[in-house]
Amino acid sequence: MSNSTAVEVSHLTKTYRQTTTGRNVTAIERLDFEIAAGEIVAIVGQTGCGKSTFFDIMIGLDHPTEGRISIGGKTPYGDFGSFRGRIATVFQQDRLLPWRSCLENVKLPLELLGVPESEQRARALEWLQRLGLAKFIDAYPHELSGGMRQRAAIARAFILKPSILLADEAFGHLDEVTAAELRETFVKLARECGSTALLITHQLEEAITVGDRILVFARPARVLADIRVTDWPASEHGRLRESIQATLQGQPFPSRAGTA
Amino acid sequence: MLESMAVQQRAAALPPRIPREAIVSLLVIAAVWEALSYLAPTIGVPQLAFPSFVRIAKSLTQITFADVAVTLLRVVAALVVSFILGTAFAVLCYLSKSADRYLTPVVRLLMAVPVISWILFAILWFRSVEFRILFVLVVTCGPIFFVDLLDSMHSTSKELRDMMKSFRPTLWQFFTKLMLPASMPSIITSWKINLSLAIRVVTIAELVGAVTGIGHQLAIAQELFSVADVFAWTLTLVVILFVLEALLSRFETRVLRWRQ
Repeated sequence: MSNSTAVEVSHLTKTYRQTTTGRNVTAIERLDFEIAAGEIVAIVGQTGCGKSTFFDIMIGLDHPTEGRISIGGKTPYGDFGSFRGRIATVFQQDRLLPWRSCLENVKLPLELLGVPESEQRARALEWLQRLGLAKFIDAYPHELSGGMRQRAAIARAFILKPSILLADEAFGHLDEVTAAELRETFVKLARECGSTALLITHQLEEAITVGDRILVFARPARVLADIRVTDWPASEHGRLRESIQATLQGQPFPSRAGTA
Repeated sequence: MLESMAVQQRAAALPPRIPREAIVSLLVIAAVWEALSYLAPTIGVPQLAFPSFVRIAKSLTQITFADVAVTLLRVVAALVVSFILGTAFAVLCYLSKSADRYLTPVVRLLMAVPVISWILFAILWFRSVEFRILFVLVVTCGPIFFVDLLDSMHSTSKELRDMMKSFRPTLWQFFTKLMLPASMPSIITSWKINLSLAIRVVTIAELVGAVTGIGHQLAIAQELFSVADVFAWTLTLVVILFVLEALLSRFETRVLRWRQ
């Protein structure tokens, strides 16, 4: 692991017992890759390829069967508490607490860290302002549109200025205009905060727009292709999309640029 | 949207209006009662069975504040103790599956025992009158707090639990920032159920084993064959229950304003 490596995934395997059939199912099979500090990496794969299982292990909510994820030399599950304030997540659904106002939701991570109340409020207001929610600080989640709620969820994640940022299908359920706008905001803020970001998506267009790199997952999860998006000029993004599509359907990724 | 919410909140803050139909029903019952108080001897019913409202009013003026205060204090103290114990055991069972497996059957058993049996046990087991009453109330109301809160915590969405865990809260924070607020509707419902249950149970407990309180005064009224006194004390109990329910409703409106 080099000095600039933020995340190292080595020989990661996850099997679990299916409750309905009682059989062992492999969700992740010897997954290996590294992410450099400050990089934005998109993970794409077919439904059921273990993306969500990988996401849970990455946040520290689940543990691998074999292998490990190392973030700065520590594992998210084993060293759970040491990632307090350093890791933040944007989920597919906003997951705002319905009994808290927009402002109270955004400052939640700071409350958990024991930051003084005045600072919590000031920082939450600043982030709500940046995400265009300044007029809705006292609104409850049910009073906001889907896009506004997801903005609040993004503000809640960025308020920590996390070193690791995870997004699980964070824009997939929004209309295309809102999703595009939020993707752009997400990338801009991640760069500003210097966060290492991992974005799980099923939309190839989103992966190409947001990611510095794209990891294509097989089923069960292992890396089929590791693509550096900057190696593909914008004029060839159409071909890149087709190549990823073909890889997901079982064909090898063309050797031309940035393949694993 | 926010304006309409403010209007709703203002409306909720006003004292509740009694429906015209309820007033009509109560007036009809009062008129029939008053008529019976005059007609009782002519239809072969002893006059003391239906005292007139003048006689009842006289009994009401003789209500002793000390007895009302003692009963009220017993109810509130027992409910607070029941709530603390119910919450503590519910949290324990939520955290530990084995504690749940051992404790839940015991709680179900406690709930199956009739109140009158608990009163008899209390008289046989304990000397202190206050402890007897406290025991009966706690053993009757505590399980309701326990079962409702545990069910509510188990039904708190996994999405919200995972979101909260991803920020690495302490155990205390996990319960105070997520589980208890998420369970608040259920907690308030338990308080409503237990309030009316406790008022009824405390009366029976005082009736058979106390020398103070409304239940004891009811026992004296019964010994004196004074229906007017029974009526007056019962009316006092009903008024206490309504006042406590109104206070609880105000609290509910305030705490659960996010649901409006």
